[in-house]
Amino acid sequence: MSTIRVTGLHVRHRRTVALDSVDLDLGPGVHGLLGPNGAGKTSLIRVLATVAAPNGGRVELLGDDVADHRRRAAVRRRLGYLPQEFGFYPGFTVREFVAYMAWLKEMPAAGTPAAVERAVARVGLADRIDTKVKTLSGGMVRRVGIAQAIVNDPQVLLLDEPTAGLDPEQRMEFRALLRELGTSSTVVVSTHLVEDVAAACTEVTLVESGRIAYRGTPASLTELGASADGVGDHPIERGYTAALRAHRASAATPEGAAR
Amino acid sequence: MTGDFHVYARAHSGTALGRALLHALSRSGTALDGPLLYARSRTVPRALAALCATAGLALWGAHGAGASVDPERLVPVVALAPLFAAAVIGTSLHTESDELDRTAARPWWRWRAVHLLALTALAAALLSVVALGQPSGFGPSAMLRNTLGAAGLTAAAAAVLGSRLSWLPAFGYAGAVYLGAAGPQRHAATVWAWPVRPGDEPGAWAVALAAFAVGGALYVVRGARGEARA
Repeated sequence: MSTIRVTGLHVRHRRTVALDSVDLDLGPGVHGLLGPNGAGKTSLIRVLATVAAPNGGRVELLGDDVADHRRRAAVRRRLGYLPQEFGFYPGFTVREFVAYMAWLKEMPAAGTPAAVERAVARVGLADRIDTKVKTLSGGMVRRVGIAQAIVNDPQVLLLDEPTAGLDPEQRMEFRALLRELGTSSTVVVSTHLVEDVAAACTEVTLVESGRIAYRGTPASLTELGASADGVGDHPIERGYTAALRAHRASAATPEGAAR
Repeated sequence: MTGDFHVYARAHSGTALGRALLHALSRSGTALDGPLLYARSRTVPRALAALCATAGLALWGAHGAGASVDPERLVPVVALAPLFAAAVIGTSLHTESDELDRTAARPWWRWRAVHLLALTALAAALLSVVALGQPSGFGPSAMLRNTLGAAGLTAAAAAVLGSRLSWLPAFGYAGAVYLGAAGPQRHAATVWAWPVRPGDEPGAWAVALAAFAVGGALYVVRGARGEARA
């Protein structure tokens, strides 16, 4: 069952093509989104989060076309999104910030205080819930961002570089949380850390120059690393570079360029 | 901050807003109510304080020494105080978390409309009261007209330029008019020089009302530039 279905997606930023004819079908599980800087990962996540409108193509989330604004509101109630950077409102505590996001998602008011406490506890910030967000460290702010993304128990959860700024112990705890969330929801995690993908993801999608370069599982990417030439200290890292280079080589041939 | 709301709500328990605030606070125990959090996310408490300070300044300008002797002294007050009020309203339309606001399921246009209308109504009421009892055409009517016109220009600028610089076009226009209106005037002046005309000219009123309607609608539909659009 696919909860995210993307067909013929085009995204341009002025004259730069960010995504070019992307087709993608994702179902429940944890999907790692890998790729170099500027490959289009963030553009893809922002379109899926309904924050940016695509220049072409169709995006269906949970069976609804998000171009229809009435359906989009219904989808947004079941969506969680952690942007790469989010500002925070001056003077808000962690509790207030997460509660405000719950309100924006039209969660029933009666259940909100408990949902806020649960989400904050899940990211390990229960003891800081009444601390002002601006006084927290970078890693803690990142976890506040994760808490607001999961407060509504989303069916589709989009995380753009969630582990940036987390220390190794927090990252391992976060991977456990990802695995738990992935049992019931569709989680898309954009990351540069190939080892996070190996540890927490059920599927891998590699994006390069606005196109899908590779789709598989962490195991298949590791296998590719064992059999093909690639740079890296770990088999899955070698698989990552091998898949990337294979895609670049096919795009450089006349056949690939004409696609 | 929560304490501020409690104090405010108790002090205004006789008013509808005070009762609504008290109700919200008593229901949740803490100020976790969405509308209150929305107001704080847009620094509305600070905007309310700034509007009161603007009204105080206008009061001092309108009733200070010499104003009753020289009614012309009122023209700058009637031209400037609404501009300051509109600047306060315009900058309060800013959000610190545009990216997350864009994922809201709530229809933003309602909150934009309530926000703009409520603050403009408050500014217009405060400044009109300040101008009460003034002789000549520069009394409550001119103050009300200029507040609506300036708020409309500022709201339009927030939609086109962004809320941070939303005050600039209204200040620029009013400044240019103030300088230009000092020269000999023709009939058309009632239209282009509306911020410095007496309060009883229908042409000046029509322009100000049109600015408020168009600017307000633009902001309500589009949101501030670089901010939530839905």
